[in-house]
Amino acid sequence: MEHSVTVREITKQIIKRFTFIEILQGMALTLRKMFSRAVTIQYPKERRHIAPGFRGQHALAKNQAGRAKCVGCGLCAAICPSQCIHITRAKGQVDKYEVDILRCIYCGFCVEACPYGAVVLTENYEYSDYKKENIYMKKDKLLSNWDKYMPGKKGEEYFDKFWRPLSEDFGTPPGQSVFKGKKE
Amino acid sequence: MIQKEAEKIFETRELNVNMGPQHPATHGVLRLVLDIDGETIVKVTPYVGYLHRGIEKLGESLSYFQALPLTDRMDYVSAMSNNIGYVVAVEKLFGIEAPERAKFIRTIVGEMSRISNHLLWLATHALDIGAMTVFLYCFREREWLLDLFEMICGARLTVTYPRVGGVRNDVPQEFLESLWKFTDEFPSRILEYETLIDQNRIWLQRTVDIGVISAEEAINMGMTGPTLRGSGVPYDIRKHMPYDAYDKVDFDVPIGTKGDTYDRYRCRMLELRQSNNIIRQLIEKLPPGPVMVDDPKFTLPPKDKMMPITHPTKEIAYFILEKACKGCGMCMRACPAKAITGEKKAAHKINQALCVNCANCLVTCKFKSVTVVSGGKGLSDEKLAELAVAPDQLPEDIKQAQQLLVKQFEFIKKGPKAPEGDLYVATEVPKGELGFYFVSDGSGKPFRMRLRAPSFIHAGCLPRLCVGHLVADVIAAIGTIDIVLGECDR
Amino acid sequence: MDINNIISPQLLDAFIKFGINVLVIILKIVVVLAIGLLHVAYATYFERKVIGHMQVRLGPMRVGPHGLLQPFADGLKLFFKEDIVPANADKVVFYIAPIIFMAASMVNLSVIPFSYGFTIADFTISPVIADINIGLLFIFAMAGMGVYGIFISGWASNSKYAFLGGLRSAAQVISYEIAMGLSLVGVMIMAGSLNLTDIVRAQEESVFGMFAIPQIVGFIIFTIAAVAETNRTPFDMPEAESELVAGYFTEYSGFRFALFFLGEYIAMIIMASMATICFLGGWTLPWYITQVVPFINYVPGIVWFLMKVYACIFFYYWIRATLPRYRYDQVMGIGWKILIPVALANILITGLVKIIMTMYGA
Repeated sequence: MEHSVTVREITKQIIKRFTFIEILQGMALTLRKMFSRAVTIQYPKERRHIAPGFRGQHALAKNQAGRAKCVGCGLCAAICPSQCIHITRAKGQVDKYEVDILRCIYCGFCVEACPYGAVVLTENYEYSDYKKENIYMKKDKLLSNWDKYMPGKKGEEYFDKFWRPLSEDFGTPPGQSVFKGKKE
Repeated sequence: MIQKEAEKIFETRELNVNMGPQHPATHGVLRLVLDIDGETIVKVTPYVGYLHRGIEKLGESLSYFQALPLTDRMDYVSAMSNNIGYVVAVEKLFGIEAPERAKFIRTIVGEMSRISNHLLWLATHALDIGAMTVFLYCFREREWLLDLFEMICGARLTVTYPRVGGVRNDVPQEFLESLWKFTDEFPSRILEYETLIDQNRIWLQRTVDIGVISAEEAINMGMTGPTLRGSGVPYDIRKHMPYDAYDKVDFDVPIGTKGDTYDRYRCRMLELRQSNNIIRQLIEKLPPGPVMVDDPKFTLPPKDKMMPITHPTKEIAYFILEKACKGCGMCMRACPAKAITGEKKAAHKINQALCVNCANCLVTCKFKSVTVVSGGKGLSDEKLAELAVAPDQLPEDIKQAQQLLVKQFEFIKKGPKAPEGDLYVATEVPKGELGFYFVSDGSGKPFRMRLRAPSFIHAGCLPRLCVGHLVADVIAAIGTIDIVLGECDR
Repeated sequence: MDINNIISPQLLDAFIKFGINVLVIILKIVVVLAIGLLHVAYATYFERKVIGHMQVRLGPMRVGPHGLLQPFADGLKLFFKEDIVPANADKVVFYIAPIIFMAASMVNLSVIPFSYGFTIADFTISPVIADINIGLLFIFAMAGMGVYGIFISGWASNSKYAFLGGLRSAAQVISYEIAMGLSLVGVMIMAGSLNLTDIVRAQEESVFGMFAIPQIVGFIIFTIAAVAETNRTPFDMPEAESELVAGYFTEYSGFRFALFFLGEYIAMIIMASMATICFLGGWTLPWYITQVVPFINYVPGIVWFLMKVYACIFFYYWIRATLPRYRYDQVMGIGWKILIPVALANILITGLVKIIMTMYGA
């Protein structure tokens, strides 16, 4: 019994060695894949779906009246691990709100730190430029980003979902996601 | 005699080759100085530090909360695992425990990170040995995982998703469904990679008996993770010192026998399957519940409860009650708009024209002299004095909001305070044992943060693995120890 | 003044004939070079597309529809790139190395026949620039020359990676030249000639229609040796990018790099043509196909030739997309320990069979 097993094993080995079976299998796979659909996204023409809450370029939120929500408390600047937010105030309002995008690490802590919900990270990730000044974000640019990338309901939804923690994170909210079984 | 003469005339020496820091196969900026005799390696000297950013030192100047994104930038291939390693260590330092659901979620994303790391490892390892198709097949699946990361936290690589005391936000339902679909399909994808390389005679010739290291030597060298397990040592922190939800799942620790490159490769391939299995079990068992620990000392307070003060429609104005003010000047120093004036030991005053309503005075005042006037924005001082009431008599929701605001400001400006002492916590990241060692002096920032990075230790093992082999085997050895220089150099 | 006074009519006739012959040859050179280089350019495109799709990508898509103009864009880019010469390079040798490599590859195009000769108004035009009797040997000789280009480029760059690449290349080409030569001896025995047109004719007249069937061992050895000879995966030791950065042409840039690049692809097309001519029946089809499907005869032979060449090139790409890279010593081992002995045995058996056949068949 044992003898026949080893003989079979040896024959198997010999067949494997001289038929190049594993190489042929690999070649069959690559040939098969040649006729399958490519996964490439043709970038400037097609774009990948950006998940809501993407941590891209910053924007300053506006309230219903169209004014900046930011009051300039400076918490975002305090929490920023790379210290890239600079704020000055004058005459009862925020004078300068500047984000040095080149220093920013997109951790999203400024959003979490802001008790006023005034700063958001938008879905914009295409802001390369030839000049450093154009990348350095000033207050008006940040405010226009809000109109551009967070229009209407989108901005509110952003705060519902990504301005955390909310009190529901400390409890069990209804409709919490759970495994619902295999989808047949 | 002739030979001696010849030796005098022809002096031979080893060829000295600088491999790196710019080289296609050194996985970043590793620099190896090779002394080669023909193609045989005589000596290997690894040089590290080209990507040094001083993460350990930076950690000393940032609060425990702030230092989290730094860990993303260590092993950027599996940032999630590093984040988890950090938060698990800090939680232990604080003496808190994350809620069950958060632990499950962290374990799920940790295993996702392990899969994505091993996929990148397989991709680059195979590419180094010349099988370039595996590279792109691996990236196809890695993209899927990175997209899932983006779905839960908005970033693909530098995730910053776990938090001390839980996770940033709950996972959406689509995430679980998409991940379940991934785990369904992934085993067949692993088979695809294995069809190309696993039994391939060229792959076998390139990996079997290359870079052999015995179990004892591997332990002495300080190897951990799959690199150690390839030598047959079943050491896995997930199994021996379970953190998060690893004690609630059932998994094997695959080990090798010989300790060569092929064994380490097999170990990681089996780990891919194990991780897939772990994710499936965790998704099935994912319990409902909170995702943040309800301990205001260590987490940011809920933002919706601050709304009575912070919501823009409330038109808040701040006012200093003359009677209560002791004139300590705290608010004056805290005011970023320089709107507060007043002599020492005399009642201070807010210049409403300069005030930006930022609440800094509200949270700094120890004597309950700063009060909130709803709808008071733009009113004159006299009018405000009429409307203002003592903080104790404010409505309940505003009082609560004020307390939470105080916590928010304190948390961000000073950071959560850790108890004094030191501790070392290790977690099993895809590359091995990632340890965090904290020395705390009781303040909000660590006195010393030290990282035990597996990549650094594995890079030190390179000479042991390479000497005696050929130049091509150095590439295989770099691939097999799976190093990332971001973590190695820190 | 009569022209007959200066030169006799016979001489004039011979002179005109000679002139036309020269003209035809020049025309042939121009045609072969132009079409040959176009094929080389599109071989790069073909490679990127094939490997791209095998790797579930698309390959070049941007320049022109489906990236069809990509080869020209690449050429233009390389042409206008800065030509960097390392400070410590051996300048003269550094300059001539790519030219040697390119020239050695390109000269091979002159002996490759594409079809049988045809007659236009008394002139027999054979679609080959130089129909020499030792075509096979000539190709070997030139392939051997090409390695000088590689080797001296590695030496002249004064870079350690280039040096290692050049050394590897020299060793590898020496080993595999032998195996390849020996694998073709079987073909020579069966065809009884070294002229490439005669080899194709011999295949057309043979029972099997192509030598790949009786010479299957020789064919496999030739295929492996050809891959090694042209420095392609899994035997791309001299330029193993993950080990030696780019091997012998690490220090080359701009158009000098392009010369190496083109030379490599020309060498690949030459090897594919060799396989087609020596083993796959060249531009002819086996009789068992032409008998069954008679109208297939109307397709010109050059179409079959190109199809076979491209099938061979596709095979090159296919294994590149599938296989990992061998190690240097393993490549040498395969060459010396497996291919050469097997090729020798193949020659022995072929020769014996030939002797027996001539003894009893005649």
